[in-house]
Amino acid sequence: MEGWINPYYLDIIVFLFINIILGLGLNLITGYAGQVSLGHAAFYGIGAYSTAIFSVKIGLNPWLSILLAVIITFLLSAILGLPSLRVREDFLAITTLGLGLIAQSFFKNAKITGGAYGIDGIPMPSIFGHELTDVEYLLLVFIVLLVLIYVLHRLSRSKLGQAWTAIQEDEVVAQSMGINTLYYKVLAFAIGGAFAGVAGALFAHKVSFISSDTFGFTLSATLLSMVVIGGLGTIRGTLFGVSVLYLLPEVFRIFDIKIIDPNYIDTYKMILYGLLMVIMMRYRPKGVFGRKIRHQKRAVKD
Amino acid sequence: MDALLEMKGITKRFGGLTAVDQVDLIVKKGEILGLIGPNGAGKTTFFNILTGIYRPDQGNIQFNGTDITGFKPYQIANQGIFRTFQNIRLLKDYSVLDNIKLGLFRQTKAGAWSSIFGLRRSREEEKKVAEESWALLERLGLTDLANEAAGNLSYGNQRRVEIARALVSHPEMILLDEPAAGMNSEEVESLSALVRQIRQQGTTVILIEHNVGMVVELCDRLVVLDHGVKIADGDPNQVVANPAVIEAYIGGQEVTEVVGD
Amino acid sequence: MLAQQLLNGIALGFTYILIAVGLTMIYGVLKLLHFAHGVIYTVGAFSAMIGILYLNMNFIVAILFGMIIAGIAGVLVERLAYRPLRGTHPITTLISGVGIAIFVESLFQAIFTSDPRGFPATGMKVEPIHITSSISLTNSKLYIIIVGLVCLLLLYAFLKWTKMGVAIQAVSQDMRAASLMGVNVNQVVAVTFFIGSALAALAGAFVAYDFNSLFPTMGSIPGLKAFCVVVLGGLGSIPGTIIGGLILGIVESLSEGYLTGMVIDKDAIAFVILILILLLKPSGLFGKQVEKV
Repeated sequence: MEGWINPYYLDIIVFLFINIILGLGLNLITGYAGQVSLGHAAFYGIGAYSTAIFSVKIGLNPWLSILLAVIITFLLSAILGLPSLRVREDFLAITTLGLGLIAQSFFKNAKITGGAYGIDGIPMPSIFGHELTDVEYLLLVFIVLLVLIYVLHRLSRSKLGQAWTAIQEDEVVAQSMGINTLYYKVLAFAIGGAFAGVAGALFAHKVSFISSDTFGFTLSATLLSMVVIGGLGTIRGTLFGVSVLYLLPEVFRIFDIKIIDPNYIDTYKMILYGLLMVIMMRYRPKGVFGRKIRHQKRAVKD
Repeated sequence: MDALLEMKGITKRFGGLTAVDQVDLIVKKGEILGLIGPNGAGKTTFFNILTGIYRPDQGNIQFNGTDITGFKPYQIANQGIFRTFQNIRLLKDYSVLDNIKLGLFRQTKAGAWSSIFGLRRSREEEKKVAEESWALLERLGLTDLANEAAGNLSYGNQRRVEIARALVSHPEMILLDEPAAGMNSEEVESLSALVRQIRQQGTTVILIEHNVGMVVELCDRLVVLDHGVKIADGDPNQVVANPAVIEAYIGGQEVTEVVGD
Repeated sequence: MLAQQLLNGIALGFTYILIAVGLTMIYGVLKLLHFAHGVIYTVGAFSAMIGILYLNMNFIVAILFGMIIAGIAGVLVERLAYRPLRGTHPITTLISGVGIAIFVESLFQAIFTSDPRGFPATGMKVEPIHITSSISLTNSKLYIIIVGLVCLLLLYAFLKWTKMGVAIQAVSQDMRAASLMGVNVNQVVAVTFFIGSALAALAGAFVAYDFNSLFPTMGSIPGLKAFCVVVLGGLGSIPGTIIGGLILGIVESLSEGYLTGMVIDKDAIAFVILILILLLKPSGLFGKQVEKV
């Protein structure tokens, strides 16, 4: 099977799925719970570095490393989220951004993260001694994505989702309904961060080499724009926003479209994203797939 | 009769201004208490203290035998004190039904895991919440509006939905902040009926109101605040005839809005 | 050594102050976190460069030119990205501002490439001035301090003694009341953006000149640090911002001299301070206690 699929396409799809997972986590924090985060790349990086450290430096089994990485991201997201949650929504953007920069700076300078050199030789996980092939890894990422879509869907309909909705719309009301807003906000950061941790771990084992450059502000801002353009607070919005905006520049690369200088595709991409963010906020602030009122029928009594 | 709520020496200062000054208040179970006073008298501040939004600088609040002084707003709600807001605060982009369901938040228990795995308990709970919310909407004659965005409702209906949200979990006490504001006499009439119904279900009511005619007719007792001080407390008809109260209202015309209200 | 670090820190602090004053004034007037302020700084530096290189301006004229262009850019940003969203959720405005920042920065990368370029020859060489045998300061840094001080004095006079300045203060106090009293709020906002942007441009141009380097993303970190300064000094307070800027400049400068081999970069210090301040004293060092709700 490997033979007839261009490995480049496989990679694009794996990275697309990983970005969707990142987007879902960010949408949980920003779209569902209403807490703007401009530091999502930090959680992604924590996931990636954790699994890299466990599997390369400590030599744990990759599966176990991934699991531990997700747990660590969950916990660290909760802790890092804590100071941010004392501030009003617009300040949250600066605090999360600051946390993102501090995290990236840590990745670049700390010894444990390999400093400026990063970490190399992150192993591909294997099943019964068989190392996963590219196609199998794609399948793995796809399954994880489906599971996480389901989890997010269920969470949004749960007591947690209800609390997040109320917090997003009006914190005073949320509190007066008995919602411990701090707890639910921390939980949103922790779960959304854990999503990013999953994405980061999957990314690290895919590329086998990570360095701090990947986990910067540009990624956080790009993700936010994708999620916002797709539509905050909806799963469809994230699927759409991330897919279209992630694949658009790739289309130019794959079909080798020469209208624009290929070296500048990423720059043009960012010009477009920025412009779209401004235009969307003005004309369609709820995004392409904005959240709609859920129509509910009364259950018929037996 | 039992005292449900007992507030002693409640004082709240903002900078140099004393918004609420040494106020004592006892509310009996099953009572409808009216809290009146000119603009800036500290009524809403008083509500905000009672609901934990502000922490009093001095004083002590006992509710149902528990000392709730310094409790956070959500803890107060979980003690069974619910409120409405002067400037209606509904989740405007969400349906009326979802708004009401929010009122039942404190009674549900299913956490993340049981929701993710769709366990029976969480499904049963979802069903129960939906049914209770529908039942209340039916009682209030709002069934047709269940799936409307709350923000699209008429002013009077928004008030009713907000009261319904505070009411749906059968709290011990409900605080209504100017529920009749902007209502015509017919709507005020039906609001009064609703407040009596609330008391029937066993919920104690405190309301802030400017419509003196309504409170005199509706309330068992009136308390008057002026410049943060309690100046009267007793039978509605006697209170409104009290010269000090009349003076406060006439003098109050010149007082500009200072605090919260 | 210490005196030297302090002096460098003060010079650095003045660049932060020049950027942050605009942010704090804009916050005062609109209660808005202007995320695109960093790119305005970049616009200022590049405009000054273009002025010298293509329009044959001398250094001072080019800097004034950069300030005017950046001022206009700032006013345009407010018109296009913020004003249509006034009254909506703060997140909407914030995302719009981030969008502008990403857009302008990328546009500059497309036009000027991402590579740093030198500041054009001005006929004014950057050279050290020796104050004592061991303490020295480049003349460019000295200019930043002097120009910064002059600008702050002018700003003070403007806010205190002109009709527009008083109007800006009135709008900062209470926009609704000011507009009821006949203040043209849109005009006040535009002037605030113009002044704030021009001051940021001044900082951008001087830093580009001092380091002999400018590049499209040069404004992003200083723009974000300016937020830290604003929060540190207490939002909306100009004196607080001045002190906040000096503190950050001095702390950064000292860290360079004394703390080596840290786990985080010098650039991350501002954000550590920011988070500490938000945790310990959210109203900032000099801000008034704000009642939430």
